[in-house]
Amino acid sequence: MASYVKMPQKGLSEDSAILSKWYVKEGDEVKKGELLFAIETGKATFDIESEFEGTVLKTVGAEGDEIAVKATVAVIGTPGEEFKIEEAPKTAASPAAQASAAVPAAAKAAAPAARSAAAPAVSEAEAGGPLKISPRALALAKRKDIDVRFAIPSGPGGRIIERDIEAMLFTGPFVSEAAQGIATGEEIGTGLGGEITTADLSAFDDVKHSNIRRIIAKNMHDSLANMAQLTHNSYADATRILALRAEYKASGDPNFEKISLNDMVMLAVSRTLLQFPELNAHYFDDEMRLFRTVNLGMAVDTPRGLLVPTLMHAEKLGLPEMSAALKSLASECQSGSIDPSKLKNATFTVSNLGAFGITSFTPIINPPQTGILGVCNIEYRVRMKGGQPEFFPTINLSLTYDHRAVDGAPASRFLQALAKNIENIDELL
Amino acid sequence: MIYDVIVLGGGPGGYIAAERAGQAKLKTLLIEKRALGGTCLNEGCIPSKALLSSAKIYHNAGEYGAQYGVHFGGVSIDQPAVIQRKQKVVNTLVNGVAVSMKAAKVEVVNHVGKIKGRGADGIEIEAGGEVYTAKNLIIATGSRPATPPIPGLEEGLKSKFVMTSREALELLEIPKRMVVIGGGVIGLELAAYYGTVGSEVSIVEMLPKIAGPTDEEISALLQKDYEAQGMKFYLNSKVVRIDADGVVFERDGKEEKLVCDKVLCAIGRKPVIDSCGIENLNILTRRGFIVTDDSCKTNAANVWAVGDCNGKSMLAHSAYRMGEVAVNNILGKRDVFRGNAVPSVLYTNPEVASVGLSEQQAADAGIDAAVVRLPMAYSGRYIAENEGGNGIAKFIFDKKYKTLVGAHVMSNYSSEFILACGVMIAKEMTVDSIRQIVFPHPSVSEIIREAAFAVKL
Repeated sequence: MASYVKMPQKGLSEDSAILSKWYVKEGDEVKKGELLFAIETGKATFDIESEFEGTVLKTVGAEGDEIAVKATVAVIGTPGEEFKIEEAPKTAASPAAQASAAVPAAAKAAAPAARSAAAPAVSEAEAGGPLKISPRALALAKRKDIDVRFAIPSGPGGRIIERDIEAMLFTGPFVSEAAQGIATGEEIGTGLGGEITTADLSAFDDVKHSNIRRIIAKNMHDSLANMAQLTHNSYADATRILALRAEYKASGDPNFEKISLNDMVMLAVSRTLLQFPELNAHYFDDEMRLFRTVNLGMAVDTPRGLLVPTLMHAEKLGLPEMSAALKSLASECQSGSIDPSKLKNATFTVSNLGAFGITSFTPIINPPQTGILGVCNIEYRVRMKGGQPEFFPTINLSLTYDHRAVDGAPASRFLQALAKNIENIDELL
Repeated sequence: MIYDVIVLGGGPGGYIAAERAGQAKLKTLLIEKRALGGTCLNEGCIPSKALLSSAKIYHNAGEYGAQYGVHFGGVSIDQPAVIQRKQKVVNTLVNGVAVSMKAAKVEVVNHVGKIKGRGADGIEIEAGGEVYTAKNLIIATGSRPATPPIPGLEEGLKSKFVMTSREALELLEIPKRMVVIGGGVIGLELAAYYGTVGSEVSIVEMLPKIAGPTDEEISALLQKDYEAQGMKFYLNSKVVRIDADGVVFERDGKEEKLVCDKVLCAIGRKPVIDSCGIENLNILTRRGFIVTDDSCKTNAANVWAVGDCNGKSMLAHSAYRMGEVAVNNILGKRDVFRGNAVPSVLYTNPEVASVGLSEQQAADAGIDAAVVRLPMAYSGRYIAENEGGNGIAKFIFDKKYKTLVGAHVMSNYSSEFILACGVMIAKEMTVDSIRQIVFPHPSVSEIIREAAFAVKL
């Protein structure tokens, strides 16, 4: 009897997943444990192994399709065997998703229809559409294979008349054979004699949102729409953290040599937050939940988009442990193998763009948290010391907070305290 | 003296630019220190074809001719006469360039030109002690054989044990054993000549294949053909040293030595821009090449760079077109150099010609491609004229637009008919149209027609 491989449910809130890659095709033999396909949920990518042995009789859906949880994705059995795929329950796609799917579909439908030269415009004219053209002009256009959409009307009431088509025999726009019927005439031709070629056709691709993109879009927009966010910029003296990093790097000690500036800032944040419970909190309409532990979210740039893993109980970790834990979370995010449960429960988040030379930015809070720290680049500043100007390295910091939860002065105090802790990092070690 | 256009360099890019500018009634000066015609005419495309033509006659007069029932006796190669004839061909063509310069009213100065900078009336260029002023400058300084820092190479060049392509076209004695460093186009053509006229030729190539960017399957076939003729190939081999009596290279971590009488160093060419004063106009360069846009314009106002020195496509025919593009833009006519339909030819025996995308390039560009691979035996004329030939042709079609996007042919005459494929690509003709073209019969070019009917779109 044929066996049916269903779309697994990887999280309680998932009602669908994206089929991101097929490892097998119809007719392939598979054994138990062999990879069938990969799926992408909002949180991570999973490889799905076969629980059955036999021949792949049917694959349902193409790479990039969104498939409902529990719907059949593949059928495995013996060749010739009968099987039946039940219609999957339709997932309630968001309006945005439906709209984005509708646009390329319409565009695709238009392209092949327009393939034979001049056909669409002519039929549109015949149908009494918006294009006004005289019968003689239309006949000439058909005879000479001219795309009437490019004609410049000179007849009464903006009507295309025969001489407008005649003019096009000499003036163009000239379109290569392959681009005929697709070119709009707006393109800049780069072919022989300025011909519009397929390479000149509209320069965009319609790319479906990945699940993760949809989730990021929704969260970011909700955050800015619902909160009273603002950002304060400051800096901390980075002399000590720079010196320490150099020392660690040269130490050759595997526990220390990979400790980064970000690790040290994370350490300082985890300790500072303990003194500012309203920034280590979740804001709800009627109450605030103030946490006694610091669960630190860290923004990670991955090939699939932004992920924010959480370092639980950061306040209890020493620097080497914190560094190692952050690195392992980041690499799990990079490879897409991170357990979705590690992507929640953060009480505060840190986002570091210093490596890109960013001097300040306005990070967006992950709701229902009340703050997020943007860590920026190292910049030299001047201060007076003993009557003499002195250059010293600083690390730029940008704190976004929710003014519903925290007022300006306490938020500034947090930044000030954080800067002190970074400057005196040795006291936290 | 103020000129509308001054062209620096009299190779294919430079002399065509000067000729077109002169024909357009622009006051034009061409500065070239050596003979007109540049590398192409004097020590590249043309002289190598003259040599290969002698080799082909020699080859046909030997055992190969016997396969056609024609027996020759006492066939020999007279190397000095071959070189002499080559020189006659070169002289004819160089004089031809001089005549066309005169006809186009282009002044020619036979000196080294050096850019001095901008003056009140334009860009000042010094040549032979005189200063000439240009409203527009076209840099067409070309390239020279690259000589990388291989130990012993410099000494070898001095003692004439090592040659570049320049000296290999002047050789009056056929070396008994010859090592060619570099299995690219230049190395292969000269190896083909010396291999045919009697040298034992070994080719040492760093890459896993010969013939540069040529289609892999065709490169492999060509290699097999030449191996059958006695040529030896050492691929994945890096030359580590040149001794006084041979070439030492490393393959699979082991050093090997090929003892020989002459070495040809043919590992590519590098642009000649170091002594022409481009720094005086702050002209931007990248990896030794002058940076230009698709109209061959540099970052400096009214300065253009065409041909090998801009690195866009190091072929004489590309240089021609670039020279024309620059002049058109100077004349206010927008024109661009399009690289998608530039043919390239390897004048070995058999010839290899290609234009457009390879299978791999089409895949990299995300094109849904249909590849048609045909043995040349589909062409009647090919069978009649190529005893024992194993040529193939590969055509790459774009399924979406139903157009030809690439053609790769290993067969004699392909150099002459690849142009048809180039036109089809440049004009984006659809397969339906290509099928309506009438080809002469019998001709080798009919393979294109075969492909157009064989392709499944």
